[in-house]
Amino acid sequence: MRVLAVAGVALRRLVRDRTALLFMVVLPVVVILVVGASVRGFSTFRIGVVDLGAGPSGHDLVAALERAPGLDVRDYATAADAARAVARGQLATAVVLPAGMDRSLRAGEPVDVAVLAEQANSSEQAAAAQVAAVIAEQGGLVQAAVFATDQVAALAAGTDAYAANLARAAAVRPGVADVGVASEVVDAKATILPQGFSYSAPTMLVLFVFLNAVVGGAAVIQTRRLGMYERMAATPTAVSAVVAGETLAAVAIALGQAALIVGIGATAFGVSWGNPAAAAVLVALWALVSAGAGMLAGTLFRTPEQATAIGPSVGIAFAMLGGCMWPLAVVNEAMREVGHLTPHAWAVDAWTALIARGGTLATIAPQLGVLAAFAAGFLTLATVRLRRSLV
Amino acid sequence: MGWMRRVTRAAAHRDESSARTHPAGADAAAAPGADAAAAPGAATPAAPTGTAVVVGGDALVGAPGPDGDRVPGDAGRPLLACTDLTKRYGDRVAVDGVSFSVGRGEVYGLLGPNGAGKTTTIKMVCGLLPPDAGTVSLDGREPARDAAARARVGYVPQDVALYPDLTAAENLAFLGRLYGLRGTTLRERVAEALALTDLQARGGDRVGTYSGGMRRRLNIAAGLLHRPALLVLDEPTVGVDPQSRHAILGRVRELGRNGMAVLYTTHYMEEAERVCDRVGIVDRGRIVAEGTRRELVSRLGEQDRIELTATGDLADLAEQCRALPGVERAAVTDRGVRLLTSDGRRVLPALLEAADRSGAAIDSVEVAEADLEAVFLHLTGTALRE
Ligand SMILES: Nc1ncnc2c1ncn2[C@@H]1O[C@H](COP(=O)(O)OP(=O)(O)OP(=O)(O)O)[C@@H](O)[C@H]1O
Ligand SMILES: [Mg+2]
Repeated sequence: MRVLAVAGVALRRLVRDRTALLFMVVLPVVVILVVGASVRGFSTFRIGVVDLGAGPSGHDLVAALERAPGLDVRDYATAADAARAVARGQLATAVVLPAGMDRSLRAGEPVDVAVLAEQANSSEQAAAAQVAAVIAEQGGLVQAAVFATDQVAALAAGTDAYAANLARAAAVRPGVADVGVASEVVDAKATILPQGFSYSAPTMLVLFVFLNAVVGGAAVIQTRRLGMYERMAATPTAVSAVVAGETLAAVAIALGQAALIVGIGATAFGVSWGNPAAAAVLVALWALVSAGAGMLAGTLFRTPEQATAIGPSVGIAFAMLGGCMWPLAVVNEAMREVGHLTPHAWAVDAWTALIARGGTLATIAPQLGVLAAFAAGFLTLATVRLRRSLV
Repeated sequence: MGWMRRVTRAAAHRDESSARTHPAGADAAAAPGADAAAAPGAATPAAPTGTAVVVGGDALVGAPGPDGDRVPGDAGRPLLACTDLTKRYGDRVAVDGVSFSVGRGEVYGLLGPNGAGKTTTIKMVCGLLPPDAGTVSLDGREPARDAAARARVGYVPQDVALYPDLTAAENLAFLGRLYGLRGTTLRERVAEALALTDLQARGGDRVGTYSGGMRRRLNIAAGLLHRPALLVLDEPTVGVDPQSRHAILGRVRELGRNGMAVLYTTHYMEEAERVCDRVGIVDRGRIVAEGTRRELVSRLGEQDRIELTATGDLADLAEQCRALPGVERAAVTDRGVRLLTSDGRRVLPALLEAADRSGAAIDSVEVAEADLEAVFLHLTGTALRE
């Protein structure tokens, strides 16, 4: 009961805090709207293609890019021309198809398809990510065709079994769109990424719930400085009950905010959040991770001002590293690894799997495991530190 | 206004010596604020504490008082007994072997200057700070380890501790829940505490909109909510206007009369004199003397306290005064020099000459009978408020 009293007071105080509520509710919705609109604006993406003599597979790829929604494909003669156009902002991104690509593919050798993009510009990177996704998907077809051809070739020396099998693979497309396999063939480590609000809503959920929790750590500092923890300690309340109450409130706040973003995303922006059970577990774990980080912040920062000044920077830096601002598919390997030091990257990966690839609890189990470890770590550290710093 | 009136009445019929001798033990059990465990007649606030605090060879505590008016023996244990409490912060000893006890229905004051160790002592009493040595016993239980013991203590911290963004009633309801109060009882107690501090009209207002004095009163209300057996007040009147202070002091006296044990710290001599049955004078972490006002003052004999209001080199003036025959002590205060003399009137001419010599300009001279201020000067050689 005392735990509930402590949690209740924390929630009541939050409700009284108009600014905090504004940040919790209004800001995420606005940002989802803005980011969602810009990531959806693919119709304005102009991409360049440089065909250095790739052969039929190259033509297929170009055709696939032209079919892709919102990509305006232009031909360029040399990679240098295309790179210059990207640098000048005339192109969002450019694809370079190497000479002899078709031959290499038939031989089952890996092929490098270069995707040129400016590292600094997130909308270009979004475009590059989409191009990479098309290439990867195409690669999936190609690999299926190569596999089928190998099988068939053992039985009969067919004339152009590869071409036939490529067509057959395309016909059974959903069954072979395994992007993980595809990326090995064409060496483009892309996954199929959600677009528009389906990208912005889950990433902003991850960003804002965490950021809000870290800033919310200020409440713990304030309560301590008001002398309220000391006053609570003078009552028959155990310190562990105070800690549990504060944690409960932080989790409830994070859950509430996440539920709100899920609800608004689904109703106003038409986001489908994927497998409900998996999404619920993911949301719950993320609330725990965020609450733990927030409580920890409450014990690390000295003043509420520090929490409100440093909290957002930390929250946004983690979000950037973790792929909330642009897909981690577009950054280099090293940055991707650094990104996965943040819980954000694991959460975004899990959402991507749920939303874009129809993932289930089983699919995202590894990510959920990592997030559970983050939550346990943050909460344990915060509890230990809070117990010590209460009075 | 209601509580102002009540308080004035309570203060008016105050009779110090009777309060000391018969510490309201009889009406303790019947009073609403009384500790249920207090058996009538069991209260012996002035019972020997077993500690001998020796100052300048005078044992002020530990032996029956000169009047022989104390109840000796161990028939009634005090509600709160602190023994040899010690707390160090690094090299600094904040509290140095403090022992005292508070009986039911008794208001016990810790009187001492800034940094004397009052708050540190109180935090140890309330179980908020682990002592380096010594014990705290509330009816045989230790508040630091025993939630049931903490439930019988009302703690009023020196700095107001309340949520400014919640209303007074919400603050009280929250703390009431932490004391295990629920439902109708909780609502009643909140209303009672607000009424007790004359805040019922503002109960629905956020504490942030309160004046400083109102916050102080609410701070006290929060300590009374659960009708504690022991109320611990740490300088509850700092920053409060005279009217509110008067009201607070009256309320505290009344609570003591109704059977509550009260531990009260202050650095205001007048407060200690007005509100406390017994006073422990604290200096640099030690209780240098303890007793009723009368006992403490009688130690001084026929001495007078002289207040010189002066400007100039006060340290030199004090030095000059100390050299005069008949001047026992001289200490610089914030407005001049305070003296303890064997015969005030006889020393006066010499004092004025001394002031002349030191070049200080004397604005006024006041000769007063010995009081706690004089006792403090006698014991420590310094003024209570410097
Ligand atoms: N947390 C702390 N860390 C270090 N020293 C402390 C701490 N708390 C108190 N002290 C020191 O202990 C001594 C006693 O402090 P305390 O607060 O008990 O005095 P006090 O009698 O309540 O004074 P005041 O009238 O100013 O409230 C002081 O010298 C103070 O500096
Ligand atoms: Mg103090």
